[in-house]
Amino acid sequence: MNLISNICSTLCPQLEDGEEARQTERAIDASLRFPTLGLIKGAAVWLVIALAFGIVSFIKLVSPDFMGDSATFTYGKVVPAFWNALVYGFAFNGGLACATWTIGRLTGKATGLNITLVIGIIAWNFSVLFGLGGIFWGDQTPFSLLEFPPYAAYMLLASFALIGFWALKTFNKRIFRSTFAAQWHLVAAVFAFIWILSVAIIMLYCAPVQGVFQGLVAAWYSSNLLGLVLFPMTFAALYYFIPKVFGTPIVGYRYSGIAFWTWMLFTAFSGPAALVNGPVPFWVSSIGVLATFGLLMPTTTLSIQFLSSLLGNFSNIWKTIAGRFLLIGALSFTLYSLLSIYASWRMTNEVIQFSLFDSGLMILGLLGFVGMTLIGGMYYILPRIVNKSLPSNIIDLQFWAQSFGLILMVGSLLYGGYQQGALLNGSSDSSLVTILTVSQSFLFVTILGAVFYLFGAVAFMVSYIWVTLSSRSETEKSAELVKASSDLEYSAS
Amino acid sequence: MNRGPFIFIGLFIILALSWAYTLDRPQAESGKLSPIGSSSERMPRETVGLAAKGKEVYQEMGCIACHTQQVRFESGSDIARGWGERQSVARDYIDQNPVLLGHNRIGSDLTNVGLRYEEADVLHQLFYNPRISSSKSNMPSYSFLYEERKIIGQASDNALVLPDEYAPEEGMEIVPTSKANALVAYMLSLKADYDLVEAPSLKKVDLK
Repeated sequence: MNLISNICSTLCPQLEDGEEARQTERAIDASLRFPTLGLIKGAAVWLVIALAFGIVSFIKLVSPDFMGDSATFTYGKVVPAFWNALVYGFAFNGGLACATWTIGRLTGKATGLNITLVIGIIAWNFSVLFGLGGIFWGDQTPFSLLEFPPYAAYMLLASFALIGFWALKTFNKRIFRSTFAAQWHLVAAVFAFIWILSVAIIMLYCAPVQGVFQGLVAAWYSSNLLGLVLFPMTFAALYYFIPKVFGTPIVGYRYSGIAFWTWMLFTAFSGPAALVNGPVPFWVSSIGVLATFGLLMPTTTLSIQFLSSLLGNFSNIWKTIAGRFLLIGALSFTLYSLLSIYASWRMTNEVIQFSLFDSGLMILGLLGFVGMTLIGGMYYILPRIVNKSLPSNIIDLQFWAQSFGLILMVGSLLYGGYQQGALLNGSSDSSLVTILTVSQSFLFVTILGAVFYLFGAVAFMVSYIWVTLSSRSETEKSAELVKASSDLEYSAS
Repeated sequence: MNRGPFIFIGLFIILALSWAYTLDRPQAESGKLSPIGSSSERMPRETVGLAAKGKEVYQEMGCIACHTQQVRFESGSDIARGWGERQSVARDYIDQNPVLLGHNRIGSDLTNVGLRYEEADVLHQLFYNPRISSSKSNMPSYSFLYEERKIIGQASDNALVLPDEYAPEEGMEIVPTSKANALVAYMLSLKADYDLVEAPSLKKVDLK
């Protein structure tokens, strides 16, 4: 009975009136409370599920007979389940949690009931569930990051269209006509996802292109899914939350425009770099490599903006909960972007092609940059929408477990993947079994790192449950628990 | 500044150009290839019957998580490893829908696996338990594609021939299911043992 009344109090807090200035903010938060809480819950649950699949897949690489009798959990099914649960489950739920709330706040007024948004979110999560079911059922496709069967891809597109419709409609209702960098990135991400998924569906399922060109479409899709959808959502979180958390504007904000356009332009062309030396026309993969090098420009600008803003407030980072996650996220972005440029360099690519180095990079991008930043963003949002304080002990544990796990996983996969690739692509002297023996020692470290990260993910879920189920204390009954934040995004632009 | 429409138009142009130059143009250039020759002379070889079923099993089991089907010439040691005699080119893939290029090599490249294994028995043993032929291999066992059953009357012709320590109990035998048979037929059908003008094998190049 108590729990039910606590949940009710979380969903519809009855607060004593605070300052006049927070009336608008509170009205916006109230209108977005239900969808945002749902998205945060989705992110927490999918992160745990994805990591569980990830750990099973890494264990299977070392000990292939682990769950070896199961046709459902064979390695070839667990691996795509891991990546797809991570991308469409965790990253999209987390990204959309930050995106919807940021769009709502930047629109400057409450948006009503948001029925389309709620239906879209529920449909999205069911599509992910169907997609994973499809993979285990045996309907997977061979396209990287789109292993979901075609029917799940159609469902994803339809449900995202609802969410996207809400986002653009809300963006259009904004009371300030001028826009902030976070809004450009969010609007771009919504538009780009609908575009790239439609192109992938048409060119792969409706009117499939011939043979190897399907591989080209898949490479284009997966590279743009990260570069034009998930990363912009995460940039938006950094642009919005850094000034909010620390009360200082983004350093060098006026270069955001050029960073935005160069990032979009070069990313859109970088996909074919994955097919270097493959059976596609040589010039296409060369365009991809060239465009990847172009990413050096926005990478520099964005890194300087985020890292200077964060390091300028270094003494305050450890006093905030969200700030430290944002710091790890921004550091991971710089490292990820520089490493992926380095990896596309022809001489490096000759060493690392087809090795586990790629998985290490993806982990750095998805669990490091996207994951840590969005978790930081969600921890900024959570106390504001429910007007409760966060359990900082659990979150301390989560932060260190995830950071440590991330370093172990990324370090072992990048270093070990490089060794593996060097043997695999070097002379033909070392047999595949020899290469395997080399890679198994670093895979133990990867498993250890993944277990640490999973521990952090469980702590994330626990702190979410704690916040929603705990009873409201006296201080949490007052709207003054959350201090009003300054409107830096307008004064700085 | 109100950047709303500006973002849409800009992004629309970027995505349209990216689609036109990295997807549509290469496809228009060499995405409408046709096979050379017909019936048994056809290049590339057609995957039909049981082998076509096997390709579905290959896709269902996610073999692509570890195996590529592309031989590179410019880099790597694919040819030295005996994975093929020439580079794979677009024409090799014209019948594949969906295409099974792969992007990870925890296992070997399978473009020419049908040339490396000639007998179905060896492949059945490999799928049943990869540790039989290579004790350190980390390939998953696909024993769930095989059925252990009681020998009634005469033993089946299809029963797996296994070394003693892996053999089933007395009076039992292990036989492949239809999925296992299809997968093996697909493996045996994978051979790019024909020469295309666009990618002559190294032997031919040497002769010249």
